[in-house]
Amino acid sequence: MHVLLVEDDMLVASGICAGLRLHGLTVDHASTAAKAQAAIEVSSFDTCVLDLGLPDTDGMTLLVRWRAQGRSLPVLVLTARDAVEHRVLGLKAGADDYLLKPFDLDELVARLHALQRRAAGRSVDCIEHGELSLVASTGEVRLRGEPVTLARRELALLRALLQHPRQILSGDQLRDRVYGLDQDVESNAVNVHVYHLRRKLGADIVETVRGLGYRMGEVPR
Amino acid sequence: MSLRLRLLAIIGVCLVMLWSAVAAWMLLDLRNEMRAAMDDRLAASARMVAGLIGQLPAADSSGPERRAAALDVVARDGLACEVSLMRGEATLQTVARTAGSPKLAGAAPGYGIREFGGKPWRTYVLQQDGLRVVTADRMDIRDKLLRDVALSAGIPFVVALMGSLPLLWFGIGRGLRPIERVRAALSKRRPDDEAPLPDVDAPPELKPLVVTVQHLLERVRETIARERRFTDDAAHELRTPLTAIKTHLQVARLASTKPGAGLVVDEALANADAGVLRFQHTLDQLLLLARLDGRVDAAPNEATDAESAARQAIDDACDTRGPTFDLVLEANDFPISVPVPKTLLVLALRNLLDNAMQHSPEGRRASMQVRRVGGERVIFRVLDDGPGLSEADCALATRRFWRRPGATSGSGLGLSIVSAIAQGFDGELRLRNRDAGGFEATLTFPAIAVGVRP
Repeated sequence: MHVLLVEDDMLVASGICAGLRLHGLTVDHASTAAKAQAAIEVSSFDTCVLDLGLPDTDGMTLLVRWRAQGRSLPVLVLTARDAVEHRVLGLKAGADDYLLKPFDLDELVARLHALQRRAAGRSVDCIEHGELSLVASTGEVRLRGEPVTLARRELALLRALLQHPRQILSGDQLRDRVYGLDQDVESNAVNVHVYHLRRKLGADIVETVRGLGYRMGEVPR
Repeated sequence: MSLRLRLLAIIGVCLVMLWSAVAAWMLLDLRNEMRAAMDDRLAASARMVAGLIGQLPAADSSGPERRAAALDVVARDGLACEVSLMRGEATLQTVARTAGSPKLAGAAPGYGIREFGGKPWRTYVLQQDGLRVVTADRMDIRDKLLRDVALSAGIPFVVALMGSLPLLWFGIGRGLRPIERVRAALSKRRPDDEAPLPDVDAPPELKPLVVTVQHLLERVRETIARERRFTDDAAHELRTPLTAIKTHLQVARLASTKPGAGLVVDEALANADAGVLRFQHTLDQLLLLARLDGRVDAAPNEATDAESAARQAIDDACDTRGPTFDLVLEANDFPISVPVPKTLLVLALRNLLDNAMQHSPEGRRASMQVRRVGGERVIFRVLDDGPGLSEADCALATRRFWRRPGATSGSGLGLSIVSAIAQGFDGELRLRNRDAGGFEATLTFPAIAVGVRP
């Protein structure tokens, strides 16, 4: 899952980034509303964790602007203000969920998965594709009932593809989902992970669409 | 005592006193007028009788037959008349007198008061053409007449006065009704009611009270809002480092279960430590502010040497940030003291210096000037070459938890603390951009002159 973290406090942000990465999520961090706006325009994210107290624009304003721009990105609002009116305002402004600081990292991750699941229109945590199944929150992958061990990047790649099984995702899109925006990665990095996925789950699991990118393929019988 | 009863008592007593004085005056006047009128009547009667007798055919008044036929005038009770013949100054013979009237012979000419038969009489004696006419009436009957007149005029007056009291009671009640309306409007409010007081239809006399109450409520509301914002801000400021600590600890725990993540664990623990430091710093500042809020009244009478406090603040600042400070002391009239405990003065100056160092460009020196103004105040000026603050931000800068836009470090309490110290010790904090660029924070305290330095 590709998460955009908008948080101005560097100490908190570094903790959330590290925690989410340890849970196998891809995180991009924006410290201001302007950076968040720039990030959301160049890449696609699955969920956003938004702190309300931003130095340039209030998080609430940013959220309202996104909703006005027609962005349906699931947003989890993170705030240290616990007054009920703050919560109500946040939800009214278009937030999908709300978490009060200090929070539990596991809870944050679980809520992000739930947000993504709801956004994808699924009511259960498990994504099934033929005989392949992925438990979104734990990252547990099974092929024909047998558990398969995937590396972190491979899992992120599989998640991205499974999230939109009919959609063709370009190499750049996949790279964002797997590595995030900041990291400089080799241009063939995605190819390498696709290769590993095919080796572990069967050659047809990822379909190459020449000149456009990749999409989910058939699960071999 | 209720306002209504009070008003009634005051107005009632005033009315009774006023009208009693008027009544006494009228009564006195009436008595004099009546006395004069009756005296006139007495004299007129005497002259009338004398005139009438003068018109009678001349008679030998000395004849005994005349004496036998002495004129008896039937008189009403209390009025008497007596006619006598005179020769020279001596009375010869009484020729006529009203029946049952007392002997009036001894009365002197003109008006007089004589006692006959145990009762005082008013007499008038007229002597003309050898006749002596005496008229008299009884004083007690005069007084009774006067009493009757006074009574018939006084009873309606007293009745009206008594009747005016219930009317006053009713009228005052009506007049005080707006107060009751204001009271009702106030009693409906809860202490945290944020709506302004509804417009009460109040007469002009009550308007100032209503306006004052409205202003008071407004101030109370602002205070509550400020306290609420402060609590909210404090929660936010404490929760943020707490979140950092908790998150990094969870990261450390999570990473420690994964092989080869030792670096992540170390980094997370270091970050958690940083969070604890920040938490502690914010908490210390908050507690300090709370103590400053509470201690203002009980400030001890402690004097601190301005120069040594400035030096210590600079030493402290240089210890943590390196020697980047000039201390400029305009020293012509030092030493001088300010009535602020040293720890607090140093702390205030230190906070200003920290801000100046933080915002001064790399390699530029910030400076502090200490100077005495007009022999009464000491000014500490902290100058830097930083970007300064906008006008609006200058006004906001002393607000608790305010940070300059874009700033992520600091507790946002430094200037609040300086401001609280200034307020607590009759000082003043001013922030402004310098004309030549850079920023200037001015802290002024009253001066206590100290003897010349040895």
